[in-house]
Amino acid sequence: MVFGRVVDWLHVGTIWQRRPPYTPRPMNANAAIPTFDSDLANDLAIDLGGVTKTYSGRVQALQGVAMQVRRGEIFGLLGPNGAGKSTLVKIMTTIVRATTATGTILGAPVGHRPTLARIGYLPEHHRFPQYLTGRQCVEFFGAMSLMRRSARRTRAAEMLDVVGMAAWADRRVGTYSKGMQQRTGLAAALVNDPELVILDEPTDGVDPVGRREIRDVLLAMRDQGRTVFLNSHLLGEVEQVSDRVAIMLKGKVERSGSMSELTHDSRKWCVTIQGEAPVWSAEFGAVLGAVLGGVSSARDEGRSVIELKTDDLALVQGLIDRLRAQGIAIVGVRESRESLEDLFMRLVRDVDGRTKAVGAGNITGGR
Amino acid sequence: MQKHELYRDKLTFADIVVQTRALFVAAYRELNARKLFWVALVLNALVIGAIAAIGIDETGISVFGYQLAIPGVTTKLFPDGKLYKVIISTVGVGFWLSWLSTILALLSTASMFPDLVTGGVDTMLSKPVGRTRLIVTKFTTGLLFTALQVSVFAVLAFLVLGVRGGVWEIGVFVVVPLMVVFFSYLFAVQAVVGLVTRSPIASVIVALLFWIFIFLIHAGEQFTLFGSTFSRLEIAGIEKKIASLQTEEAKSGLVLKLEDQRATDSNWQLAHGIFFAVKTVIPKTTETAGLVTRSLAVAADIGSEDEAEGDDENARRQRGFFRSQFVTERKLKAAIDEEMAKRPVWWVVGTSFAFECVVLLFGAWYFRRRDF
Repeated sequence: MVFGRVVDWLHVGTIWQRRPPYTPRPMNANAAIPTFDSDLANDLAIDLGGVTKTYSGRVQALQGVAMQVRRGEIFGLLGPNGAGKSTLVKIMTTIVRATTATGTILGAPVGHRPTLARIGYLPEHHRFPQYLTGRQCVEFFGAMSLMRRSARRTRAAEMLDVVGMAAWADRRVGTYSKGMQQRTGLAAALVNDPELVILDEPTDGVDPVGRREIRDVLLAMRDQGRTVFLNSHLLGEVEQVSDRVAIMLKGKVERSGSMSELTHDSRKWCVTIQGEAPVWSAEFGAVLGAVLGGVSSARDEGRSVIELKTDDLALVQGLIDRLRAQGIAIVGVRESRESLEDLFMRLVRDVDGRTKAVGAGNITGGR
Repeated sequence: MQKHELYRDKLTFADIVVQTRALFVAAYRELNARKLFWVALVLNALVIGAIAAIGIDETGISVFGYQLAIPGVTTKLFPDGKLYKVIISTVGVGFWLSWLSTILALLSTASMFPDLVTGGVDTMLSKPVGRTRLIVTKFTTGLLFTALQVSVFAVLAFLVLGVRGGVWEIGVFVVVPLMVVFFSYLFAVQAVVGLVTRSPIASVIVALLFWIFIFLIHAGEQFTLFGSTFSRLEIAGIEKKIASLQTEEAKSGLVLKLEDQRATDSNWQLAHGIFFAVKTVIPKTTETAGLVTRSLAVAADIGSEDEAEGDDENARRQRGFFRSQFVTERKLKAAIDEEMAKRPVWWVVGTSFAFECVVLLFGAWYFRRRDF
C-alpha cells in the first residue's frame, strides 16, 4: 500500500528497526462508527450571524460572517490563505474569542462550553502529546469530552480501528509519521461520538489512498446523521464530498450554497457542429442573441462550438432543429458548468480586482 | 427527541472529576517520559543512600564501614539517631531538596506550559474545559514532580532513620507539603513566563533569576535588620550611659555620638523598611525552607546552632562591621530573634501564597483572554 510505503520510507524503517513495517489497515468507514440517531434532521447544526473578529484593534479577520449549516450534511468551507476560515472555525470551538458573535452551534449559543462535548475537532497542524501512545491520546481526549472510562476505552479502540491505526495504537505518538498522526487525530475527533465534526485540513500529509479512506469516513459520518464541517484548501476534495459549500474571501462569506446553486449561473449548453455557424434569421437570431455565449471555431478539425447560456432545453432543442433543417452536421451536444475551482478562482479575482479598484480610488482620492 | 449521551446544560462535578483525573494521569505519563524525572529520583536515592552509608557507634564514626578518625563523634555525642537527623535536616533538606532538587524540578517542568500553548492547545481548548481550570489543573500537576520526588526522599529518610538510627520518626514526612509549597512559589513564576513567552529556556532563566532576586532581597533584609537592631540598641546603650554620667563634660562626647547614631539610625530604619516591604510581597523561599529544617529539628529534638553557641552575658560586640561599647552579642541576638518571632508561619507562607496567587491569577487572566 502506498501509504505504508511512504511512512516506511520517511520514518518507521529507521526508527523501529526491529518492529514490523507499518502496514495500516484500511479505514473501515462503515464498520464501527456508532450511529447517532438524530431527530433534528431539519434543524441547523450551525447558525451563525454577524461574527466579527478584530485582532489587536486593527486587523479585521472576520467582517460579519453569517453561515448556516444543516444537520446531517457535509459542509465545505473554502477560501484562500488569510480569508478567515481558521479564525471562524476557532471561534466555533472557543479557541479564539469573537469580537462579536450571535448564533448557535448545536442549538446552544456560540461559546457554550458543555456543548463542546458533542463536537469533534481536528485542528490543522495539530500536535498531540508526544509521550502518549495513540490509544492513550484518543482516550485522553475522550475523557476531556466527558466520556466515562469504559465508554472511552471501547470507543477509542473502535475509532483507532476505523482509521486503520489499531495495530499501532500502543506506540508513542512521537514515533508516528505525519499521516499516522493525522489518522490518530481523526480518531480523537470522533471518539466522543460527535454530532458535529469540524475538520481542518483532514487530509493534510495523508497519501492518496489515505485521502480516499478519509473521504469514505466523511461520507459514512454523513450517512449516520452527523454534520461534518470541512475546512480545506483542496477544492476537488471539497467538491467531491460536500453537500454545500461556502467560499470566504477577506473575512466575508462571498458565496454559499449547494454546488448546483453556486454554479447555476455558469450553466451552459455547448453544441458542436461541423463547419461554420450558420447565419440565423432575424427572428431566431434575436431569441438566440439573449443566451448566446459565443461561437468558437476549432479550425483544424473544421468544427465550431455554439455556447448557449441557458437552462431552457426548448431553446437548445430549437437550435438543434434549425441546424438540422439547414443540413448542418451536429457532432455533439453537452451540458457544461463551472467547476468549483473555476468559480473559486473567478471570485478570488473579482474580489482582488474590487479591492485593488477601491484601493486605487482611495489613493486617487487622497491626492 | 433523543439527546446525545454527552448532552449537558452545564458540567457536573463528576464531569470535572473525569477531566481532572485524565489531566493528572497524562501529567504523570509526561513526567514518566522525562529522563530528568528518573535522574532526580535516582539522585534522591543516592543522597539518602550516602547518608545511610554513615555509621556511628560508641567508638566513632564510619563511612561504608571504614572508620574515620574524628575524635568525639560517637553515640555519646549523637544518641538516638541524632546524627542522621542532623544530616538529613542540613544536607538532605537544607542543601539537596532546597537547592539542587528544586533546580532539577524547574528544569523538568520547564516545557510544561510552553508545550501547552504551542502544541495541543487547539485540541485542548476545543474541549469543555474552562481555561482557568485548565491552567490551575496543569499547575497542580506540575507540582506532582516535586511531590513524588520529595515523597520518595521522605520515605527513604524515614527508613534510614528507623533502620540505621533506630528511631521511627514520622515527623520527617512534613518535608513533603512544605517542599511542595516551596517549589510552587518558583513554579508559578516559571509557569506564567512559559505561558507568555512560550519558551522553556526563558521560563527557567526568569524563574532562577527571580529566585536569586528573592535571595538578594532576603540577604538585604537580614543585613538591614541586623544594622537597624544594632543601631536601636546602640542608641539605647548610649542614652543609658549618658543618664548614668554625672558631669556635662563627660556627657558631651557621648551626646555627639548619640546624635550621629540617631542620624545613622533613620537611614537604617528606612533601608530596612524598604527591604521589608519588598520582602513582604514576594515569596519567602529561605524562610519556607527554614520551616522545613526547623520542623525537622523540632521533630528530631535538635537544638539550634545559635542556642548551642551562646556567649558571655557581658561581652561587648567587638567583631565584624558592627562594633560597640554598649551592645552585647547576646542582647543583639535576642532582639533580632524577637523581631523574627514577630513573623509567624502564616506570615511566611500566607504572604508567599498571596504572591503566588497574584502571579497565577495574572497567568489565568492572560490565558483566558488570549487567542490561539
